[in-house]
Amino acid sequence: MFSTSSQRKFWTFSDENELARLREKHNYFFYARQNSHIDEQQRFTYFLSPDEERQLLKQYELHLKEFCKRFTPPMPKGVVGTAFHYFKRFYLYNSTMDYHPKEILATCVYLACKVEEFNVSIGQFVANIKGDREKASDIILNNELLLMQQLNYHLTIHNPFRPVEGFLIDIKTRCSLANPERLRSGIDEFLEKVFLTDACLLYAPSQIALAAVLHAASKEQENLDSYVTDILFRDAGRDKLAILIEAVRKIRSLVKMVEAPARERVRLIEKKLDKCRNQENNPDSEIYKRRMRELLDEDDVLHVGSSRMSLDTSGVTQVLSPSAS
Amino acid sequence: MDYDVNNYTVVGRIGEGAHGLVFKAKHNTTGREVALKKILIKNLEDGIPVHVMREIKALQLLRCKYIIKLYDMFPRGMSLVLVLEYMYSGLWEMLHQCEHELTIARVKTYAEMLLKGMRYMHAHYVMHRDLKPANLLINHEGILKIADLGLARLYWPEGGRPYSHQVATRWYRAPELLYGARYYSEKIDLWSVGCIIAEMITKKPLFAGESDIEQLAIVLQHLGTPTEETWPGHSQLPDFHKISFPESAPTPWIDLLPGVEPDAIHLIKSFILYDADRRMSAKQALRHQWFQKNPLPASLEEMPKPKPK
Repeated sequence: MFSTSSQRKFWTFSDENELARLREKHNYFFYARQNSHIDEQQRFTYFLSPDEERQLLKQYELHLKEFCKRFTPPMPKGVVGTAFHYFKRFYLYNSTMDYHPKEILATCVYLACKVEEFNVSIGQFVANIKGDREKASDIILNNELLLMQQLNYHLTIHNPFRPVEGFLIDIKTRCSLANPERLRSGIDEFLEKVFLTDACLLYAPSQIALAAVLHAASKEQENLDSYVTDILFRDAGRDKLAILIEAVRKIRSLVKMVEAPARERVRLIEKKLDKCRNQENNPDSEIYKRRMRELLDEDDVLHVGSSRMSLDTSGVTQVLSPSAS
Repeated sequence: MDYDVNNYTVVGRIGEGAHGLVFKAKHNTTGREVALKKILIKNLEDGIPVHVMREIKALQLLRCKYIIKLYDMFPRGMSLVLVLEYMYSGLWEMLHQCEHELTIARVKTYAEMLLKGMRYMHAHYVMHRDLKPANLLINHEGILKIADLGLARLYWPEGGRPYSHQVATRWYRAPELLYGARYYSEKIDLWSVGCIIAEMITKKPLFAGESDIEQLAIVLQHLGTPTEETWPGHSQLPDFHKISFPESAPTPWIDLLPGVEPDAIHLIKSFILYDADRRMSAKQALRHQWFQKNPLPASLEEMPKPKPK
């Protein structure tokens, strides 16, 4: 249930300002952590500004959508929706300068496949990626744990697709609209666009679903207002209705404002990112390769005999008596 | 988040599972005892296994006194560590180590705890798929909790989606799974529940096959050759025509469970049915007369309190 979910509790934010504040904060944190000689006045000549990060992420959301659309075998809608949620959540608490969106994008989709029970092997998965597939699969698998951690292990996503089905059934049974199935293409088109906005971080999946249904109806020159006011919200009270109407209006206006970022601008941002990105997290850098080797070694420590069952070698975790097992 | 390996002191090793090690540890600030289940990922081709995802998703969804709790998790090197409720013992130990006598009153209480956990799980559309005594753990207060949800998954009540048939430990595996069914329901768990309740009463596994084929042979021998009436659609199951068994008549339950009181037999045979649709649900079973008759289920005070291992 959405009402008791981690999505509602931890990942539904009050307004766009709250999202902007989080993103600005992590943009600044990245700069602050670099201890660079670049002073704050000059900061954005070298580092990405919050706005540049937004533009870049918008571009990568389009890539995400295209990647999922072309994926073979064909990907269920729920996987795409879940991947979008993961991607957006990740960059609320991380800067693109720390983790390049192209790497996180693929990891989000891969994790979403698993969580949504769309079972594809890593081999099948990277067959959909252009370029060095072995490298791609290493990057994805290396980032999987990081992504899960950044999502706070909140893996279950409530997408608007099921509420859409519920509304359609309800409209068929309680509303006089002729042939509600003709709304589908308008709904699908709307939901595809909605994932290019922040709506899923601000509104409940059922609100997004209703916005999609109402949008599709108006495209068909139909009006479902009385369905909402007289049937759906008949017993809910005026204040609840007002909240819903405002949410639907806002979601529809977010969708209306969707536009692709300017190509040339994104190209410059990407160039800038190549210079300022955190090399520790760049799979092509030496420092990254070394760190990965260390992680593998660290892991081996746990496999030694029963006399040293520590989870750690750093000495932080105390050791245990051999008789404990 | 507060969870990190540095917040725990490992005090022992509990076990070794198929995908890694389980440690006993203490949370440094609260003193709470936990089990740390470490899942190795580096040698796994596809990264974090789907069954781990399922276990995490299921445990996050299910908050029930009779289902083990997942407190948190954290990465460790290339592994993932799950922080689980620490349990002193399990039903397997209760059955095999005769430290505590498993009286009928106590059996009824364990059965109730198991059924309450299953009722909750099925109400949330999660099927466990691997119920057996070794996966039913018992804490220091004597409360039984369902654990090891690595095979648990969400199911679709209308059906229509195939699932793997390679689930459930053989002795507790429902006959449709033995015949390779890919479309099945949460009722497979209730077959297992029937086997477990019988085993608690008699202290012997109900159907102990040495191989999958023998398992099927034993079940068929006791319940009799299935017919279209007792098991609608059984001849369409994937593996049905791969092997045939001699015709047999059902063994009377009284011979199968000698000395077991009629109410208990009635309950058990409501689960041990070929036709999954006719198997009793956990919710119905909790209202069964067996629980209302003497000896009544033992109170928690009367339940064995396992000592730390």
